Amino acid sequence: MTSLPTSHSTIPPPIPVETHPNRSPSPGSQAPEQDRIPDPNRLAPEDAYFAPSLSRARSAPANYDDTLGSLNGEATLRPPRGVLGADPNRKDVRKLGAGPGVGRRRRKGAWKKLLWVKQSYPDNYTDTETFLDHLQRNPRVRPYDFWPLVSDSTVIVQHVCSVVIFVCCFVGIVQDRVSPVSIVCWGSVGTAMGWILWDNWIWREQTELSNANGAIGGDDGSSSSSMVSSANPPGNDTHANGTKVSPIHGLGLTMAANNSKEQLPHQSLDSNGSLDGVIDATTRSGLHPAPPNATVGSVDAQDIDRSSLFSSRNRQRLSTVKSAFLIYFSLLGLSPILKSLTKSTASDSIWAMSCWLLIMNIFSFDYGSGEGAGATKFPASLSTNAAVMASTVLASRLPSTTHVFSLMLFSMEVFGLFPIFRRQLRQKSWTGHVLLTLALVIIAGGAVGMTLSGGWASAIIGAFLGGLLTALAMGGCSWWLISLQKYKNVVIGPWDPARPIIRRHWN
Amino acid sequence: MPYNIAMVSDFFFPQSGGIESHIYQLSSKLIDRGHKVIIITHAYKGRTGVRYLTNGLKIYHVPFFVIYRETTFPTVFSFFPIFRNIVIREQIDIVHGHASLSSFCGEAILHARTMGLRTVFTDHSLFGFADAASILTNKLLKFTLSDVDHAICVSHTCKENTVLRASLDPLMVSVIPNAVVAENFCPLSHSSRAPDQIPISPADPRPSPTPIGPDDTITIVVISRLFYNKGTDLLIAAIPRILSSNPNTRFIIAGSGPKAIDLEQMLERNVLQDKVEMLGSVRHEEVRDVMVRGHIYLHPSLTEAFGTVIVEAASCGLYVVCTRVGGIPEVLPQHMTTFAKPEEDDLVVATSKAIAALRSNKVRTDRFHDQVKMMYSWRDVAERTERVYQGIIGDISPSEFYGYYPGQGWDASGDRVRSFALIDRLKRYYGCGVWAGKLFCLCVVIDFLIFVFLEMWFPRGNIDIARSWPKKRPAEKSSTRPIRSSRS
Repeated sequence: MTSLPTSHSTIPPPIPVETHPNRSPSPGSQAPEQDRIPDPNRLAPEDAYFAPSLSRARSAPANYDDTLGSLNGEATLRPPRGVLGADPNRKDVRKLGAGPGVGRRRRKGAWKKLLWVKQSYPDNYTDTETFLDHLQRNPRVRPYDFWPLVSDSTVIVQHVCSVVIFVCCFVGIVQDRVSPVSIVCWGSVGTAMGWILWDNWIWREQTELSNANGAIGGDDGSSSSSMVSSANPPGNDTHANGTKVSPIHGLGLTMAANNSKEQLPHQSLDSNGSLDGVIDATTRSGLHPAPPNATVGSVDAQDIDRSSLFSSRNRQRLSTVKSAFLIYFSLLGLSPILKSLTKSTASDSIWAMSCWLLIMNIFSFDYGSGEGAGATKFPASLSTNAAVMASTVLASRLPSTTHVFSLMLFSMEVFGLFPIFRRQLRQKSWTGHVLLTLALVIIAGGAVGMTLSGGWASAIIGAFLGGLLTALAMGGCSWWLISLQKYKNVVIGPWDPARPIIRRHWN
Repeated sequence: MPYNIAMVSDFFFPQSGGIESHIYQLSSKLIDRGHKVIIITHAYKGRTGVRYLTNGLKIYHVPFFVIYRETTFPTVFSFFPIFRNIVIREQIDIVHGHASLSSFCGEAILHARTMGLRTVFTDHSLFGFADAASILTNKLLKFTLSDVDHAICVSHTCKENTVLRASLDPLMVSVIPNAVVAENFCPLSHSSRAPDQIPISPADPRPSPTPIGPDDTITIVVISRLFYNKGTDLLIAAIPRILSSNPNTRFIIAGSGPKAIDLEQMLERNVLQDKVEMLGSVRHEEVRDVMVRGHIYLHPSLTEAFGTVIVEAASCGLYVVCTRVGGIPEVLPQHMTTFAKPEEDDLVVATSKAIAALRSNKVRTDRFHDQVKMMYSWRDVAERTERVYQGIIGDISPSEFYGYYPGQGWDASGDRVRSFALIDRLKRYYGCGVWAGKLFCLCVVIDFLIFVFLEMWFPRGNIDIARSWPKKRPAEKSSTRPIRSSRS
């Protein structure tokens, strides 16, 4: 070890470095305030071990630095924070604040947050100014607002209500109050209506898209795209492919068809190219075949687009109907098996199990809006599987094959198809979404009332109470969540592993 | 006054690593300063019983059940009987635990406090606060450190982290950096001088080494385990771009790990096999031989408490390019390093800058070794650790040891000198949390009862006192040097 003078002669004087990757040296404009008043978002050393004081905002006397500076010169001296070239403004403030300590600093040198310099401070010296300097609290917290929170909670309410309706229907069937056929008929009518509405949306969306694309196609009226597309004559090949591929997606065949329909308008522009391996330009025109010859104007192109779209739509509809029938008949064939599948299990176990499965369904359901990066296009499979399994085990408590079939079909409609419709509705029209929520709440409340005591009067009371309770719960939970935000205390500092920023470039 | 010190950690040789060599170097330097040091660790495969290392450093390999990566199973109390036995046999005054993930260390500190010994804890790593694993680890650390007499951290960032994690009084945490054995990391041109340990006078006008011409090949060395948190992804992304923008550049990569496959795939995809040499894992004693083959050391780590390896690289005369994370910015002076943000683009820019600086011969890398030698030495670390021991034993008065900073609100917690009374200890543990506090108190009470039981069942008088290793006379140099504490 060497004494201080020699180390000074060989090693250049320490240049303080910025010690945090994501913080640039503070701009000069805010420096004076920072020096004067401690930032309430920053922890002081004593905050670390006085736990209660974490939440309190520290207020400092106006002559904060002066008092400290006069009490002990050394400890309050701010070592040069940030880069050397600090603005003169800031230096002035520091001198002012340091008061009587200035002279001594010259002699002894300010403490630096460096390890390689031999410093004349004890090892456990804690510098008030730089200690926990880079700590950030709640840097990415976004405060919630009440009404948006309430409106977002409608999604959960909708799902819980549909589960409640399903359970009530099952209880009704078991207690012979409701005929299973009527339930499944109503359900199917609802599904069919939903599907028609859906189909309408998709149709409108696609025509809009093709109009827009027609304009683009007219714009670039380019040789490449039209030439290639005229080389593969039927532009809706892509479409046919898309629809043929889609029914492979497991459980709901109709669902899968719907799914492909939903995806088409969004994805056809970028990712369909992989389907048939044509270049991007063809894919774009694949949705709406480009004019047969390059000279045709865009108006003509749109007409032809419409007609071909129409035919492609019809194909899709046909395939949807086909898969619906497939499900229908396979369910019909399976119902005797499902009926006796868990017959040997005691009823108690069945109730408990279905309860847990439905709870699992509610908790693992994908309440996302279907937008953004991590969005899935249909509900997470765990949730759907749990619900279908719940209805399967419940079905074994029913007396006849018709009952079983009806319940299963109804559960598929409620748990498989309805969520997709709800999500689309929410994207399309907010009013529709709110109305649907209201309707679901009222129906669920009424169904519970009717199940508990029977009769229309109790249904009305149930609907009223259900609505009231739901409103209270929505408001209460939102308010609760907002009030819980004050306990949020995310601490971020230089000790956290940095998140590497890598540009993905695939040659 | 010489102390009897027990270093306790799960991690020790034959496993090699930063903590292991830290414990070994610190212990041997403390022995040089006249103390008696023993090391307590768990039994490794083929390494059991009591062993002696150089200089009479005694190792107890306690048989214990190892669960994961040489960490023992945390049974709060089962270590106590044998620990008590060892401590009494060796007449230990101070128990010094290392590494927060070591359950041995945590247990030893708890039992040592129950037995009325002073304890020190050294933290070597950084932890976040967000994920579930860190929350659990932090709670355990709080349990360990609630009653510790002093904590040592390897960098200021590490100190901030530990103070926050364990709610410690910042004045009870010292910052004592790691060090390197500079003699083991000398540059090629230096190797002839290595045997004689005479410090070269700073103004030694050695001929500057052959300058690097504009067309000479610059070799960039990377030595790290290839894990995510070592920034291997950044490295993988940056290598092709660095090589394409800087002709006459080569890479040498040493180390192995799960990311090695990604790295090799990148090499194959970009056909860089002739520009990037992959050595696989190298032993610690071979690190120097790899380092001296290069000009630049690239350290893309994402988190690092201290980063001993960059000091070793600088000691070998390499210019260091590293990410500005954790404690790294505190470790080396500006003229030895180029800092980059942990981003691919910035890393490429920083490396190119470093290459340009080397090519223009602006960086006197030949002086790095002597400079590093003055910055970091284990003898200095041992001296500073000794001051901590003096402070907690009471050889330095508390007011001198902890300093006196009026008006900062710190003197409110008066019990920096931690009393051994059970009620005081329980008070400290009780504040750890609503549920955890009660659980910790329960543990402490049970520990105390076990202690009383052991005192009755295996009385102290029946335990033989081990003979100490014959002591060398403490070196004259160290006794004449002014003790660090006098400077404060």
